[in-house]
Amino acid sequence: MTKKIRIATQGLFLLLFLWLFLQTESKGANDLGYPVKIFLDADPLIFITTMLSSREWYQTFYLAILVIVATVFLGRVFCGWVCPLGTLNNMVGSIKKGRPKKATVDWYRFKYYLLIFLLVSSLFSLQLVGIADPISLLIRSFSLAVYPFVSYATSATFDAFYNAHIPFLVNISEFTYSILKKIFLPFQQPFYLQSAFVGFLFLLILGMNLVERRFWCKYLCPLGGLLGILSRYAFLKRSVSEDCNDCGACAQACQGGAAPDGNDKWKNTECLYCMDCDDRCPRNAVHFGFREKQPVAGMDLGKRRVVGSILTGLIAVPLMRITPIAKAGVADPRLIRPPGSLEEKEFLRKCVKCGECMKVCITNGLQPTLFEAGIEGIWSPVLVPRIGYCEYRCTLCGQVCPTGAIKKLELPEKNKVKIGLAMIDKGRCLPHAHATPCIVCEEVCPTPKKAIWFEQVGVKNREGKERILKLPKVDLELCIGCGLCEAKCPVLGQPAIYVTSVGESRSRDNQLLLP
Amino acid sequence: MKRRDFIKAAIAAGVTITFPGSTGIILSPLEAAEKVDLAVSHGVSPAGITKAAIDALGGIKRFISRGDVVVVKPNIGWDRMPEYAATTNPEVVSTVIRLCYEAGAKQVKVFDRSVVDPRRCYKQSGISDAASAVGGVVSFVDDRKFREVKLPGVALKSWPLYSEAMEADKVINLPIAKTHGLSILTLGMKNWMGIMGGSRGRIHQKMDGSLVDVAMFMKPSLVVLDAVRILTANGPQGGSLSDVKQLNTVIAGTDQVAVDAYGATLFGLKGADLGYVVAGHKAGLGTMDLAKLKIKRVNI
Repeated sequence: MTKKIRIATQGLFLLLFLWLFLQTESKGANDLGYPVKIFLDADPLIFITTMLSSREWYQTFYLAILVIVATVFLGRVFCGWVCPLGTLNNMVGSIKKGRPKKATVDWYRFKYYLLIFLLVSSLFSLQLVGIADPISLLIRSFSLAVYPFVSYATSATFDAFYNAHIPFLVNISEFTYSILKKIFLPFQQPFYLQSAFVGFLFLLILGMNLVERRFWCKYLCPLGGLLGILSRYAFLKRSVSEDCNDCGACAQACQGGAAPDGNDKWKNTECLYCMDCDDRCPRNAVHFGFREKQPVAGMDLGKRRVVGSILTGLIAVPLMRITPIAKAGVADPRLIRPPGSLEEKEFLRKCVKCGECMKVCITNGLQPTLFEAGIEGIWSPVLVPRIGYCEYRCTLCGQVCPTGAIKKLELPEKNKVKIGLAMIDKGRCLPHAHATPCIVCEEVCPTPKKAIWFEQVGVKNREGKERILKLPKVDLELCIGCGLCEAKCPVLGQPAIYVTSVGESRSRDNQLLLP
Repeated sequence: MKRRDFIKAAIAAGVTITFPGSTGIILSPLEAAEKVDLAVSHGVSPAGITKAAIDALGGIKRFISRGDVVVVKPNIGWDRMPEYAATTNPEVVSTVIRLCYEAGAKQVKVFDRSVVDPRRCYKQSGISDAASAVGGVVSFVDDRKFREVKLPGVALKSWPLYSEAMEADKVINLPIAKTHGLSILTLGMKNWMGIMGGSRGRIHQKMDGSLVDVAMFMKPSLVVLDAVRILTANGPQGGSLSDVKQLNTVIAGTDQVAVDAYGATLFGLKGADLGYVVAGHKAGLGTMDLAKLKIKRVNI
């Protein structure tokens, strides 16, 4: 019975997660209408590390505190009953047949070392938690890999029917397709740099369930580690009555690595509170309750290893920062951050690489970095105008950012934010270099007074005939760097107008003009 | 479109052969009424002046027949609200749709290939909501539905155009009058860019001829130029209310060149100032000589 309730609860939370994920998409208005980032808001690991790294009180902390309090009272119920990645691990793990009685490895301590590493490095301002935090990781993997994959595969299938021109079949397939479009397909096929890489890592995490069920949760998950520590003195405890005959059914059922059978003491910090042991016990000898008094195993992490984890966290900070990237004018000029992004150092202290901004970006222009922002900035958002520009009247990325790395801007404020400046490549521009009329950059320029203007000149063509040409010029005071001109420039390949980050409002040093 | 038109033409021809003079009888009431080339209506209600302009041309039934599948093609190119005059007035759009249904249209489709994100353009322009409210079938452009077609070749020999626009029985062009960096103004003929597929930015290299090509190919049943508000600078996208001028005017006609030539006068220009109007005139698409046209003005 408990198992059924637990599975139903997990299912509901997974559905809620997926539904909110699907809602992280514009429908034309400038708000989404749903609290799409609540799973990130409820993540205590993101909450704590962001506070440590940014040294700022975090805005939306109620849910995270709720999870902390729940864990202190009830143990790791979040892992067993709520976490959508845990549920997916459960689902994949259920494919695995023939479970070993003993765990294949005894690495459960690793997640605590990883946790310590992350906490220490964040204390010294290096925020790496997003790489391994399960909620960040899950949203990122879904946004950048799983969803684009599903969308592509579905569209390709229906396109095949559509292009086959079989009259009756096309009607059916197009009808089905239109329904799927309404239910779960994206408005347009998303494309991301590193889709395959991020997707491969995610597959690996799911695949590890075939080695051992919930491999990730038991051994690797730093959030699991944090909740494990918080559940050390949880009030909800497990006891085994004298009816136990050491049949070992509970050990087989155990989803965590909690050693529920009689051989060792119960490791309460490893218990996911799935209560399968209670459910499975043939003699009904297992009980969960608030008054159980049986002793639990201590948490032995080993002093040297703990010190080692702390040191690694310390070393990582300067190690990742000894790159010239932070110098103005040295950083990748194409590192164009979303509008409202904090100054780069502050930004990196807060960005948790969850990919929400990339998922919601209306033009698909926000892409994950690899090393453009240093190793610490991996998978943080960068605008790639050739893929998609920044929509002038859209503020969605700031609305979904869970930590405020991208500030939530009001529209008038957003319209003034410069994320970079556009420059013209006169060697490629059609009017400048080839005496061919083209005005696309000026036409699309979205600022109320256009940042692109024309100098009208008479030029002679090869035959010596005079032609009047409009040569586009960029008004650097007005240009906001949205990249719409670059996105639409008909000079394909290397565009004739392109945006770089110089002039971005958020930076004091990365400037071109005198203030 | 082709097949349907052919069948209709064939039937009409058949009728004419069988009953000589019969088309004359059918057409006589229309011909008896004074033939209006352009209707210009002025008044505070966008819906009212839209209907008045169409009525002045002889009413919607002159253009739409019972059972027609109609495409109404407004300008939904930009993420701007109606008062910024970057997109066709939603009330003008919904009025035309309503009139089409009143004339017995089977279905009225509305779409445009927006320049920026279509979700935002459709929503923020108010057109999606206004058109849906009167039964218009609003859809986003589906990339699979562009079909390469042969064009007259003034500038373009062929280009992918939107099949739903080509397959409709009747097409009504619903542009808004705005300034534009290259073509000086964007009026009716330039509105056809919204059914062009591919890398349409390239047509700016031979803008005038390209527009004439597509306009000659499309042959709309009716053009209704929205000048309720016009954008006088920083077009075609605008963004500043100080560039918007309230004219409370709608121009309707069937001659694409004439409508645009008249549109130019709203900005203090002449048709001859616009390259594509001149090119259209020369190519025989229509006339830019407003003096030769019967223009009916209505004030309501």
